[in-house]
Formats: sequence, structure tokens, C-alpha cells
Amino acid sequence: MKSLRVLATLLLALPAISCNRTTSGKRQFFVAFSQANNAEPYRAAQNELMTRLFTQAGDVNLVIADAQQDNSKQIAQVETFIRQHPDLLIVAPNERAALTAVMGEAMEQKIPVICLERDILQPNYTTLVHSDNIVIGRMAGEFIRDYLIGKYKQPKGNVVEIHGLLGVEAAINRHKGATDVLAAYPNIKVIADPVADWIQARAKDRMTEVLRGQSSIDVVYAHNDPMAVGAYLAAKELGREHEMIFVGVDGLGGPAGGIKKVADGILAATFVYPLCVDKTVEIALQMLRNPSFHPAREYTVAPQLVTPQNAAELYKQTTLTQ
Amino acid sequence: MPNPILQLSEIDKSFDGTHALRGASFSLFRGEVHALMGENGAGKSTLARIIAGATSADNGKLLLEGSPVVINGPRDAQRVGISIIFQELDLFPHLTVAENIAIGNHQFSRQFKQRRFVRVADLDSFCKPFLDQVGLTRSPRCEVRTLTTGERQLVAIARALSMRARIIVMDEPTSSLFDDAVERLFKLIVELKRQGVSVVYVSHKMDEIFRICDRVTVMRDGQTIDTRAIQDVSPAELIRMMIGKEWQSRDRKPIELSSEAILSFSGVTTEKLRDVSFDLRKGEVLGIAGLLGSGRSEIGAALIGLDRCKQGRIAVRGNPVSIGSVREALAARIRWVPEDRKLEGLMMQMSIQENCTISDLGAFSRAGFVKRKREYNRTMELFHGLSLKAASTDLPVSTLSGGNQQKVLLSRCLLANSDLIFLDDPTRGIDVGAKEDIYKIIEQLASQNKGILLVSSELPELLRCCDRILVMREGAVAAELTAGNTTQEEILTFATQAPAQVRGHA
Amino acid sequence: MSIPVIRSFISFWERMNGQKQDAVKSLGALAVIFILAVLVSPTTATGSNIFLQLGNLTDVLRQGSIVGIISLAMTFVILTGGIDLSVGSILALSTTVVALVLTRWQHGPSYPLEIATAIFIALLVSTTSGALSGAIIAVFDVQPFVVTLAGMIGIRGLAKWLSNNANVDVGFGQDVASTFAAIFRGKTITIACYAILAAVFYILLSRTIFGRYVRAVGDNERAALYAGLPIRRVKLWVYSLSGLLAGFAGVLYAAENHQGNPNAGVGYELDAIAAVVIGGTRLSGGKGTIAGTIIGTLMIGVLTNMLRLNNVDSNVEMMIKGGIILLAVALQKQGRQAR
Repeated sequence: MKSLRVLATLLLALPAISCNRTTSGKRQFFVAFSQANNAEPYRAAQNELMTRLFTQAGDVNLVIADAQQDNSKQIAQVETFIRQHPDLLIVAPNERAALTAVMGEAMEQKIPVICLERDILQPNYTTLVHSDNIVIGRMAGEFIRDYLIGKYKQPKGNVVEIHGLLGVEAAINRHKGATDVLAAYPNIKVIADPVADWIQARAKDRMTEVLRGQSSIDVVYAHNDPMAVGAYLAAKELGREHEMIFVGVDGLGGPAGGIKKVADGILAATFVYPLCVDKTVEIALQMLRNPSFHPAREYTVAPQLVTPQNAAELYKQTTLTQ
Repeated sequence: MPNPILQLSEIDKSFDGTHALRGASFSLFRGEVHALMGENGAGKSTLARIIAGATSADNGKLLLEGSPVVINGPRDAQRVGISIIFQELDLFPHLTVAENIAIGNHQFSRQFKQRRFVRVADLDSFCKPFLDQVGLTRSPRCEVRTLTTGERQLVAIARALSMRARIIVMDEPTSSLFDDAVERLFKLIVELKRQGVSVVYVSHKMDEIFRICDRVTVMRDGQTIDTRAIQDVSPAELIRMMIGKEWQSRDRKPIELSSEAILSFSGVTTEKLRDVSFDLRKGEVLGIAGLLGSGRSEIGAALIGLDRCKQGRIAVRGNPVSIGSVREALAARIRWVPEDRKLEGLMMQMSIQENCTISDLGAFSRAGFVKRKREYNRTMELFHGLSLKAASTDLPVSTLSGGNQQKVLLSRCLLANSDLIFLDDPTRGIDVGAKEDIYKIIEQLASQNKGILLVSSELPELLRCCDRILVMREGAVAAELTAGNTTQEEILTFATQAPAQVRGHA
Repeated sequence: MSIPVIRSFISFWERMNGQKQDAVKSLGALAVIFILAVLVSPTTATGSNIFLQLGNLTDVLRQGSIVGIISLAMTFVILTGGIDLSVGSILALSTTVVALVLTRWQHGPSYPLEIATAIFIALLVSTTSGALSGAIIAVFDVQPFVVTLAGMIGIRGLAKWLSNNANVDVGFGQDVASTFAAIFRGKTITIACYAILAAVFYILLSRTIFGRYVRAVGDNERAALYAGLPIRRVKLWVYSLSGLLAGFAGVLYAAENHQGNPNAGVGYELDAIAAVVIGGTRLSGGKGTIAGTIIGTLMIGVLTNMLRLNNVDSNVEMMIKGGIILLAVALQKQGRQAR
């Protein structure tokens, strides 16, 4: 019996740990954000920016849940959010197929849903805010082609493409965009296409395997910056980092981000994949404060190419605003 | 009259509501060997553990050499010079003899306080005097698991001595020994007495107690019944004090045996057995005597299908059989009760009822579903015949006393109505009352024309229960004796000295 | 309450055997957590308790069903003194197989038949994986930890190889795969599957010969051998069942997530073991009940739901879960020492 008392006391202490119980007089909007995986730097940057912007707004109570890359967990978290009937639900889906149905349930419960950055299989959302990964892929393909022409005086070369999580729209489209461009050049060959799930350490391991099997590599194109850096580290360990260039995507600011890596010469290029958070918060606040506002079905935010030419300038810009 | 070196009075101890000791008392003189007797559950083990600091009393007085002392654990006990040798020796099998003696040993730490690292030579020099004292000739550097049980016990005693123990508590010290090791132990105890060491001797064995003890204290139901000088009391009196009622000794009457052999071994050779041959007739109780490791249990292992027969034949009910597994043995209506009920016999967490029927669930089930009611009725029937009383058959079998646990194992043999039963030391470590019950059961089984093989370390038990006795030595049959015509000495002789294949008067 | 009532309750309690006492204690702990969840639950705008909403309670059941199903068979495995680390990987294999079979089917006889066949094949593959582990454990006497660890790695590799390390998406259209997902992702079906399997396994453990054998083998394998029990057969069955149920959970997972995912189920074996352990089953084997495992699953489910409704950070959630496991085991130990 004594132990049950201990258990009860421990559990009663819980409400103290829970965050975001508001008691202020002013009307607070409850915004729930289901994030796919806090461990990715891109997503961590999203969380941080979103928190800052909503705090600045002053009338929003933001709660963020981390699904840790587990679909079942994210589904359960979204379901629990639905139970709490937030004023707005923002979801960054871990995988398209998995999250489609539950977001549909949120819509059925008349909860407005913003789908952030990753698309799902059916349009079960009020609005989708994303950047066009096909455009990024195409820009990357063009960059690679131009580089190879510059190196060999003709469009030929060996490319290693490192994929992100395969079920995700970003990976699919960054691949598609680049492939669409490069398909026109039969002598530009993709000699290896390992999968590293967006994670730097995994990319390093995969790249090491590729390096052992391939004697001549010209370009490494990774679907995000951490993977590109991982590949760079693998090549560096084997002393081959000057044999090839490394291209990534994300272009985050700050000392750990892709822009700095370009400025430092580790990456040859990256593409600022916008966090899409500015736009999301802007639309969200309008939806919350103005009941008659009907957002467009989708909003596209444009990407930007980062090369050593503009890296230093961009870094100053983005790091100041962070 | 000198003052006692140790005195306990008004000791109470409860475990979760059950009173293990109520107002118990005990006193011990210097250089005395004092027996502590009682049935299982009488409280003698608890009292012994309180003395040794393994448990603490709820209240009561503990005086060491006249002054009160508080013993909160084994380290305190060690410091005041009290040691206990448990029935299941608490040695580390993979450490050497010297390591076992030196580990956790204040005297050793004190002597070698200066050293940063322990050297093997230090261990050797520390242990040597004590090993000599107990008469162990094995090297202190061999691992304990290579020693026989008797040798291990000597190591335990050497350890106690090395801790400058003035009081040594021995809990059932001879239960795993046969007579040559027992002799060694008794000589050692006498020597310890001479040196002024006191021994508390917890035991069931009457003949030992009368041989080496000075006084005896009898306990029953957690209370101290009486303390008497050994020369002033008789075994019957002690038993009366222990069980609180009259106890009749009954001997097995010689009976007319049928000529039908239910079991015959012809030249059976397995890994441990050499050319073993004997017959067992219906309704006969055949005892199997011998030192530990002489092949007693191995006869059962060959019978039940655990050991493979390399040569020779086993015939059951006249037909030669080759039993390859325990299941085949059960199908041939052979049952056995293994030697160690806790390790080899019972599933301690399962209920009494479940342990009873586990080998025969087919008889109590339909289409794979167990019919509990049928099972319950049959087991209650059996338990009644075995005088087994339990609060509920759903309680785990670990809640029963040793004697009752043994009865549960025996009930398995009765359940299937098997007619060939192998009992391996069925009365080991159980109290007098339960022993009697088991002897009655064996008699009952024999009278039902079943064939019974009885392995035992207690010679009086063999003489009492059996018709014939097979004496094993080093894996072969040393002698085949008639129980009514032989003596303990003769059995012992064949077990220890006679060459193999000598046949005595059958 | 008058004294005679208290006294009769106490004597009733003491006459209950240890296992029943444990079950009642676990139930009590579950009740405490449930009441706590009700008390700290947020309320809707109209003032009704969110936690107690039927929709939320059934959510809890559904969310716990997949690991819950795996835990049922894991109870049996642990009761024999073994462990199965490969269940997460078998789940992944099962999702992959069922999704692959369904999406490759272009012109089948009829939807129900195709769906049944796909499920059957997935279950067959899963059970075979389990049986393979079981055979090695039973016949060659290799430690279950090692065998199922190898299985965990190898089977996931198989799943990844079959799908080329890609997810096999099940759409939202009218094809057989989408129909399968639409049917089996439903809350009612999922909860019903868990409930039925729980009932079946409850009966299997407590009422059948097989159940007795499982407990006996875990309690004292040597004694079970000497009592003539078919130890090898028991072990083989137990691991096969573990594979079967992991496969079943995989089928439900594929429907719920609309995909075959060779990377699914990572860590699910540990969640299953946690539920079994909290429910009172000892890892050394021999002691435990299905009721306890169900209670363990529910406890974790209610606790997680309570934490999420109160928006506790998910990392804090994990720390608390770890704490509960330790607490549960400590409470069980207390009860044992007193005997």
C-alpha cells in the first residue's frame, strides 16, 4: 500500500512538468504542431522559427509534438491533438501514406489543418505550404551538368546520388527533378544511389562503401546538407575529397548550416530549401484571427541556389535574422 | 558451572505474520557441541540464522560472554567470532580454495593490509594452517568445483576457523556426505572441542547426535521445549519432545515374494555403470546403497531413459525394452522421484495441484483443455491418502514444508498407477513425522504389488524399508544383501572396501 | 465499513493464491493511473472531460493494439524463460509482404480472396521466421537472446531486400490494396482483433495443457524434462506463435499506415517486453499471466495518453515510461520478499 501512495504522489507531480497550460485572461489560440522528427537540423530550425514567430504574435499557445520518425507515434499524437480540438493543427508528415488518413480525420472534426512542407497522398488539409522540390531537383541537375561540362568540356561524368527517406515527397522530387535534367545526357551516369534517410552518420557509412567500390567519382549529390557533409567526411577519411564536388539541399543559416559549408569550401553548392515557416505562420495567424479568411489550396515558396560566390553574403543575412 | 559463552533468551521472530520463534532460548558453553533438534518449521533453522547474524530477531536478548551484543549482519557475526556453515554450502565454485577462504575475511584483510595487490603466495600462506587443521590435503589453488562435497565442507569449516570463529553453527552438515567424510568431520569436531571452539549442531540424525554432542535442545512450533544433557535422555524421548506424540518404530516384515520379475538389468553398462545385473520382483522393495557417485542414481537414469545403455539389456515385465526418453519411460508405466526435489523435481512457482498432475495432464483434460474440477478431486483424494494437508491446492508448492513437497512428488507416482517406481533419496532433509508417512506409503505401494527401487543415504532407513539391498561401489554391484540378515556395518564395508562383483548372502 | 466485512475481506485475500493477488494489485495500479488521468485531463470548451470521451478511450485501445498483440505472444516466450528480440523485424517483414502481394495483384479473382491470400502469405512468412528461431533454440540449445538477435538483424535485412529498401505504398483508390487498408485500419477491427487474440491467449495459457507446459518449462526446465514434458515441442510452438502474432500485428500496421515499411517496428520488441514485465511476468520465466500483460499494455497506453493530452514533451514521456517500468518491478519485488 505504501508503494501505491508513492506511485500516486509521483504521478500527481506530472502536471507540473506539462507545458503550456495557459491561464491568462486574453483569448489564446491553441495551435498544435505535429513535427516528424526533431532530430533533423532542418526540422529543429523549423521548430525554433515557428516558436519565435508565434511568441512574437502574442496570442498563440503553441504546442509541438515530436514523432521521432515513427509513423505510428505521429498518428497517435495527431489523434490525441484531435481530442483536444485545437484552433489550428499544423502537421509536418513523417511519411505520405501513413499520415493521410489521420489528417482526414482532423478535417472531419472541423479542425483547420496546415500541411507543412511535405505532401500527402490525398489533399486532406486546408492548405499546403511547401517549396517545390522538383524545381530544386532541376536546379541541382542543371548545376551538375554545368559543372561537368566545365570540367570535361562535354557533358560526361560519374555522379553519386544519396537519397533521403524513400517514402518522402522531398526525396522523390529532388531525385525526379535532377533526373529529368540529367536524362538528356547519356554520358552523365549515376553510378551509385545509396539511401541514408537524411542522416549524416548513415550517409558517411554509405559513402564509404561506395568509395571502396568506385574509383572515379565526379559529383556527389545528396538530398540534404547533412548527408552531403557525411559523404564529404567519408571521402576525406580516404583522402579523396578533392576528386569530387559535393552538392546538398537545405541551405540553413547558422554555423552548422549548409550555407557556411559552402562558404568554407566543403560543399560546392546547396539550395536554400525554405523552412516554409514564415509563410505558414503568416497564413496561420490570418486563419486564426480572421474567421472569414479562406486560404489558397497551396502556397509555394521559392528556393535559392547558394554557391561560393554568394555564400558569404547570404550567411551574414540569414544568421542575423536568426 | 562455567558461564555460557552464548546466551539467547525471549527471542521472537515473525515472517509476514507467521511466528517462526516465540520466546525461544538457547545457551552454549565454551568447547561444547550442542545439538539443536526439531521438525521442519520448528524454528531451529531460524534460531541458527539469528545466532549467525543472517537474520535479526524482532526482540529478545543476545548475550556473548555475558555482555549484550548486537549482530546486524554476517560481518558483525564474523567480527565477534560466530560462523555458520549452511547446508547448501555458500562457496564460489569457480574460485579456488584459497580465494574462497580469503574472500570477505576480516582476518585476511587485517593481515595483508599493507599490500596493494593480493598475491597468490599470500593466499596460500594464509590458508595453509587452517587447511591443515581440518585435514584437507588438496592444493589451495584448485577450484572448488573440482572438490567433492565432503572436501567442500572442510573448506567451509577452514574458512570459519580462519575468521577466528569461537562459535561455529553447522546446519545439517552430513546430509550430503557418506560415512568416510562423516568420520573425518566428527574427528574434526572433537579436535575443535579440544581447542575450545563451540559447535551448534543442527541435525535430524539421532545416531550422530548421540555420538558427538554434549547437550541437546529440542524445539517445536517456534518454542524451546527443553535442553538436556545427552547422557540423560533417550532417542525415543527426544522424538516425543519433537513431535509431541508417541512414535512407534516399525520394521518391515519379511514377505512372500512372487517369482515374477518386474524389472531386470542384465550386464547393463552406461557411462557411469559397469555391468550391472539384478532382478526386481513384484511387490519387492529393493534398496540401493553406496557412496555418493557410486552409481545409485545412475541406475535410475538408465531406467528412465536419461543415460544410454552401451551394453546389456533392461527388461521390464519380462520384455526387453530400450527406453530413449523420459516420455517413453512414463509410457512404460515407470515413475521416478529425483534426488533434489527443488532442482530436479518440482516447479516451485506452480501450484501444488499443478505439480502433482504435470506428467499426466492427458488424463485430466479433453481436447487439450484441462478439467480443473476432475484434477482437483483426484489430487485431493491422493493427498488424503498421503496425509498431506495444505490450506489450498492453488498455493505455490514453495509454501509447503520439505516433507510435504516430497509427498507431492510421490503423489505423481500414485497418480498414474504405475507399477515400477524409482525413489531417489525421498526422505532427505525432511522431518521425522513426514518420514514416517513416507515409509508408510512405500509399504502401501509394495503391498499393491508394485516394484520399488529405493536409493538412500540413511542405512537405518534401508534396513527398515527394504526386502533386499543392492550395494553399489564405483559403478558396479558390490553386493546383494537381504535386509533382514545384514547390518549397517556390513553394508558400509561393501560400499567402501569390497572389490566389485563380490556377492554377499542373498 | 464494519469490522466483520474487513475481516472477511482480509481472509479472502489471504486465501487467494499469489498469482491472483498479483493480478489484483496490478489492476489496482491501473485504476490509480486511470483515475489520475481523469483528474488531470483537460476539458473541452463545453466542459466535458477529454480523457473520458469514448473516442479518446477507444483511441487508447487502438494505439496500444499493435504492440499489445505482440505482447501476448511475448508473454508465452518469456514464460518459458526465453526472449524474442526479432518481433519488430518480423512485423516489418509482414507489412512488406502483405503490401507487396496486394499491390502486385492486377487481375485477381475477387477482392476478399486476394486480401485473404495476402494476409495468409504474410502470416505464413512470419510464422516460419518464428519457427526457424524456435527450432534452433529448441534443437541446438542456443540461447534465445542470441538466436532472436540474429533473427532481428537478418529478418529486417530480408524485408529490406524484398522491397528494395523502399516503402510499398498503399493508395487511397479502389484497388485491392486500398480496400484492404480501408477495412483493416478501422478502429473497431483493430480493437476487435486485439480483444479476440487476448481472449484466445488467455484461455490458451490458463486452461490448456500447452499453457501448463509453457509455465513448467520456464519454471524449472530440468524438472520438466524429468517429468517427461515435450520441451522441444513447447519451445518450437512458443516462438512460432510469437512470429505469427508479430505477423498479424504487421498486417494491421500495414493497413493503419497505408504502407509496407521494411523499417517499421524498430524497438517494438522492447515495448512488448515492457508491457509483459509491468504486467508481472518475471524475465526468468515460470511466473506470469496474460491478464497481467493486458493490464501492462493498458497501463502504458493510459499513461502515454495522459501525458500527451497534457502536452508533456515526448522525451519526458520516455523518461517517465522508463521510471514506471522500474517502479512496477520494484513493487512486485516488495510483494515477493514479504512471503
